[in-house]
Amino acid sequence: MQKQNRRDFLKTSAILSTAIAGLSTNKTKAKPKEILSEDRMGVLVDTTVCIGCRNCEWACKVAHELPTKPKESYSDRTAFKKLRRPSEGALTVVNEFSNPQNLNIPTDVKVQCMHCDHPSCVSACIVGAMSKEENGSVIWDTDKCIGCRYCMVACPFQVPSFQYDKALNPKIMKCDFCFERTKIGKLPACVEICPVETLTYGPRSELIKIARDKIKHNPDRYIDHIYGENEAGGTSWLYLANQDFAKIAFPNPGDKPMPGTSESIQHGIFAYFVPPVFFYAILGGIMWITKKRKEAE
Amino acid sequence: MIRRIIFISLFVLINATLFGQAKVSKNHPLTGLTCKTCHSCNVPTSKDPCLNACPRAEMTTVNQTPAQSPEVEVMKELSNRYAPVVFPHRTHAQMSEMSGGCQTCHHFNTIGPIQPCINCHETKRQRDDISKPDLEAAYHQQCINCHREWSHRIDCTSCHAEKGSNESAAISSSIKKMTGKIHPEIAEPKKLIFETKYKSGKYVTFYHDEHVKVFGANCVDCHKQQNCSQCHDKGKATMIVTSLSGAPIKMHKPEQQHHKPCFSCHQDDKCSTCHLEKPSGPFNHEASTGWALNKFHENLSCSKCHGSVKKFEKLDPACTSCHNNFIQGKFDHSAAGLKLDENHSSLECENCHENKDFSKPPVCSSCHDDKNFPKDRPGKTVGKIPSKKIKSLK
Ligand code: SF4
Ligand code: SF4
Ligand code: SF4
Repeated sequence: MQKQNRRDFLKTSAILSTAIAGLSTNKTKAKPKEILSEDRMGVLVDTTVCIGCRNCEWACKVAHELPTKPKESYSDRTAFKKLRRPSEGALTVVNEFSNPQNLNIPTDVKVQCMHCDHPSCVSACIVGAMSKEENGSVIWDTDKCIGCRYCMVACPFQVPSFQYDKALNPKIMKCDFCFERTKIGKLPACVEICPVETLTYGPRSELIKIARDKIKHNPDRYIDHIYGENEAGGTSWLYLANQDFAKIAFPNPGDKPMPGTSESIQHGIFAYFVPPVFFYAILGGIMWITKKRKEAE
Repeated sequence: MIRRIIFISLFVLINATLFGQAKVSKNHPLTGLTCKTCHSCNVPTSKDPCLNACPRAEMTTVNQTPAQSPEVEVMKELSNRYAPVVFPHRTHAQMSEMSGGCQTCHHFNTIGPIQPCINCHETKRQRDDISKPDLEAAYHQQCINCHREWSHRIDCTSCHAEKGSNESAAISSSIKKMTGKIHPEIAEPKKLIFETKYKSGKYVTFYHDEHVKVFGANCVDCHKQQNCSQCHDKGKATMIVTSLSGAPIKMHKPEQQHHKPCFSCHQDDKCSTCHLEKPSGPFNHEASTGWALNKFHENLSCSKCHGSVKKFEKLDPACTSCHNNFIQGKFDHSAAGLKLDENHSSLECENCHENKDFSKPPVCSSCHDDKNFPKDRPGKTVGKIPSKKIKSLK
């Protein structure tokens, strides 16, 4: 349900921003293109290998000091009954789908931030709290974050979530590619714990080569598509699957980077010196309506 | 007498099978080795002798039967989080006969001996070569997918014992428990009748025993995807019972999946080769190929003449296309049951066997006006002369 609402919201704001962009076509100055490091890291997620043990969910929480139940409780398969999205309390979640190749072995899919090469969350952030780092991670500075939730709207993968339950100074939360761990030479927590190495951590360019090789040598096992190679202009996290990605709840954001939408909101705003507060009010209003609708359902 | 004939023909047959194809020493089969020490396939031919690498006698390769394989293995390379894993290897080897054989796990086989996993799969997750999984993942990828297929569980403790003080006692008790355990032999259906949804060519009769015993197919040529769950998953058990009872089996998988095991050999065949209007009888060499097998051929394996099981070659029906010794001076005629006398032993084959067609009775008329086979014979009978009535394969 939440998914539907947020998509509605996205649509509405897209219309709004197109209107603004229309006003400001000539004046909008394009943001300088993100400079991407050649050696940026990534993770290749082979969904045909994942066993759905959810150890990664547990490890992620522990690494980020989020409250969690004991590890043993994660083998509970009932968690798969409904489709889950990453949230402020669980930066990564594993969902389960039926597997057309073998009905006895379901397909399990871990989701988290994709760490886009051209992250729309970064372009959307009006205070510049978000950044694409040299090692591929898209992280944010909690001190700068004002909790405006622009990044939530902008993200084509519905990743950032908001600490709604925090009364004081609520912030955005999402997978940070374990920036604090990789900085000191450790592996991301989920990569380290995965018992079957569904998650391969390495330079993105090498991961693409490995993925291509896997597809070439096991044409029966994989569909010929590396999700994230081009999606939304390319992402650091890449996926392999044995069925169409739409069937395992991946959106199709197209191959072009997405920042257009939200960038034009803020650039439009500042180009005309319209007090941003006015637009916050509109965006806030849309959110309020969406939330109300959700509550009504 | 009869015993002698049987002995001679057996001798000829065995010799023909073993020596007729490559130049190997006379005591080749008597070296005390099993065939599998040197050959990786069941029926080595001169074209495809499927030889293992040298030195063969001392080397252990995956070309062995479950009975020859190690019984229990203790895997202790990664025992940092849990106690070492006691792995009933032989039982798994038996189980794998239906799901891919030794190669399921031993997937990288050089021509040399069996490679331990650790030779390629590193023990550290953080490593330079990320093109293949680390050791923990390599083990788990092999084990868990089969295990969860039928158990629908992924908990660690079905294989891993907790680390602790009584670790070694637990290991030796597991070893004891697993020693001598065997997987019961898998019941093999004789034939399976598939009832398809097509209007014409509704029935496909599959002679399972024939594919194994006559055509020489190995279990794993077809049974690649069928793991334990084929029998051990409750929902599926009824299907197994149906297939063993001989009742027609309705299509229960997508068409492509039904065809897949067949197409690994039958990819070039017409639909009507298998799809018929009613359940059909077993394979008949004469009906299918127009060339009936006589008693010299009916007990040979198909691959003896037609090469590799996967792609049987079509043959020229002329005897000499296989028997290059069916020429004057080279052929010992007594093998055909008749020792030629002096007058006849230097004649060309064609003089009696018109057009070198040995399936027809010989003719005497090119030289003799008053002689006739089989009333008159050009030598001494030393065995039973092949009967004119040619039997087909049962
Ligand atoms: S997936 Fe969403 S949150 Fe993550 S980098 Fe891309 S746009 Fe930003
Ligand atoms: S990379 Fe780190 S933050 Fe992201 S899902 Fe894995 S453990 Fe969580
Ligand atoms: S830890 Fe690995 S296998 Fe387990 S759910 Fe996460 S990605 Fe899948």
